[in-house]
Amino acid sequence: MSTPALVTAVVAAAVIIASRGLRQRAQAVVLPIFTGILLFAVWHLLAQASWYELAMPGQPVRTIERFPTPGRVLPAFAELASDGRIFRYMIASLFRVATGFGLAALVGIPLGLYAGWSTRGGYAIDPYIAALRPISPIAWIPISVLAFGIKDEAAIFIIFMGAFFPIVTGAATAVRSMPIAYSRAAHNFGLRKWELLRFVVLPAAMPQIITSLRIALGIGWLVVVAAEMTAINSGLGFLVVDARNMGMRYDLVVAGMLVIGAIGVGLDWLVRRLERLDSVRWGFSKE
Amino acid sequence: MTVAPDPNQPPKIVVRGLTKRFRRGNEEFTALDPVDLDVAQGELVCLLGPSGCGKSTLLNLLAGFDEASGGTVHIDGEAVRTPDPRRVFVFQEYGIFPWATVRENIALGLRRRSESERHEIVERYIDLVGLRGFENSYPGEISGGMKQRVAVARALAVSPEVVFMDEPFGALDSLTRLSMRQELRRIWQLERLTIVLVTHDVDEALQLADRVVVMTSRPGRIAATIPVGLEHPREPLSPAYGTLRKQLFGLLGVVDGV
Ligand SMILES: Nc1ncnc2c1ncn2[C@@H]1O[C@H](COP(=O)(O)OP(=O)(O)OP(=O)(O)O)[C@@H](O)[C@H]1O
Ligand SMILES: [Mg+2]
Repeated sequence: MSTPALVTAVVAAAVIIASRGLRQRAQAVVLPIFTGILLFAVWHLLAQASWYELAMPGQPVRTIERFPTPGRVLPAFAELASDGRIFRYMIASLFRVATGFGLAALVGIPLGLYAGWSTRGGYAIDPYIAALRPISPIAWIPISVLAFGIKDEAAIFIIFMGAFFPIVTGAATAVRSMPIAYSRAAHNFGLRKWELLRFVVLPAAMPQIITSLRIALGIGWLVVVAAEMTAINSGLGFLVVDARNMGMRYDLVVAGMLVIGAIGVGLDWLVRRLERLDSVRWGFSKE
Repeated sequence: MTVAPDPNQPPKIVVRGLTKRFRRGNEEFTALDPVDLDVAQGELVCLLGPSGCGKSTLLNLLAGFDEASGGTVHIDGEAVRTPDPRRVFVFQEYGIFPWATVRENIALGLRRRSESERHEIVERYIDLVGLRGFENSYPGEISGGMKQRVAVARALAVSPEVVFMDEPFGALDSLTRLSMRQELRRIWQLERLTIVLVTHDVDEALQLADRVVVMTSRPGRIAATIPVGLEHPREPLSPAYGTLRKQLFGLLGVVDGV
């Protein structure tokens, strides 16, 4: 292992030093590609180091591949795609996250706005949000399975629990940190209660709400995998455990993990698009 | 042209024995000792004083944003209890909404007008404050001086009788501040407004005010009320201006202001 590792390290150092001479635009393209290659190389080397030869009396020597190399995972994608499993599982997982997350936003945003806006609402709600929030959504799995069985609803409930608290807290904090001049101006210019909410409180809180949605969706995606590993038998999380349990197919395990990662990146990208809307951009600028 | 208070007309704003105390932990802090003040219809009064003397506190009470600990504020004989679109407040910062365009900001107080009337008013004030070409910009995309114009336009669009301004030009550079002062005077004469403007800039007060109300701190109270009987445009190098300037600096406890 030491020779390829040495070569990798030398090449890495050379590329990093050489990239200083490039323009920033070029660096932005070259460097991530380079770290990608480096990661795959390290993965390949580590995985291969785990392989060993097994010689059984009376049989030819066999190579046991403990961890899969990148080269072994590529065909696993093809296998998952060819029977359509990967797409079915993707849709199943995405559906659960979308539903759980959507419900959490639907309930969490109004509740958070209320808790943040009304002093009395804050008194009534805050302590329970604070107490329930630190409970990992994973801890809800037994209760959820008891309530819903091994069904979609169980996973959706767990995702809801993971996404709900960041959204409520985010919305409430956003309202509380609103400059007093906004509400004073609204009163001064004769806005009524609902107009105040719709045209001042909500837009003022929107950037922070979007940030909390982004966090919540990230958590939802983390949680769906965990939920599918224990509480349900379809989806990408299920794919990962199932590939292991049914025949130690670690190439499928890793392929599943990569798909989970890629979709996570995609979801985050989608929410970040919201940050560019004209009416919220002010909350994300650096001044 | 200076509007002399008409002795036959009752004052627009009447403040009597106004006090404000804040609780700080277990202590009571007097931000405003009894204050008496009259402001005539169409007058431009500047509240001048050092930081912390209670200028904002007084202005917030006049606008009805805050509750007094004692005393009364009457405008046109009516006790002020809550904010009202007839008397609008121009905030120093954060007053305009960053999520709304210049046009939407100016239209804030016009929700109950008809579509066409709203449109007509908004366009008129965009022109009045010189924001043509920036109607669809967001506050984050325009300069500090332009933001302040938006705030002024939004205030004037509701045809107020009284405008309160809390250091409206405090965040601007000195050149922009000069031109904003001139514009404010122009608009004030055009619209026949009553204006109470807070500043801690002696020259700003001398350039703008019909009367300067000098406040001192600990406790916050009115030390003197100085009429400024100078013609516009006011020449800072004239002897009369110099005398007033010295007098104001003296009242503020600064021996010789530069
Ligand atoms: N909400 C509050 N609670 C406690 N003390 C307050 C509050 N608001 C103002 N004060 C105090 O009252 C005094 C007057 O404050 P105010 O804001 O009116 O001063 P100011 O003259 O406007 O000062 P500046 O020129 O710095 O704006 C200050 O000492 C301030 O600390
Ligand atoms: Mg102040």
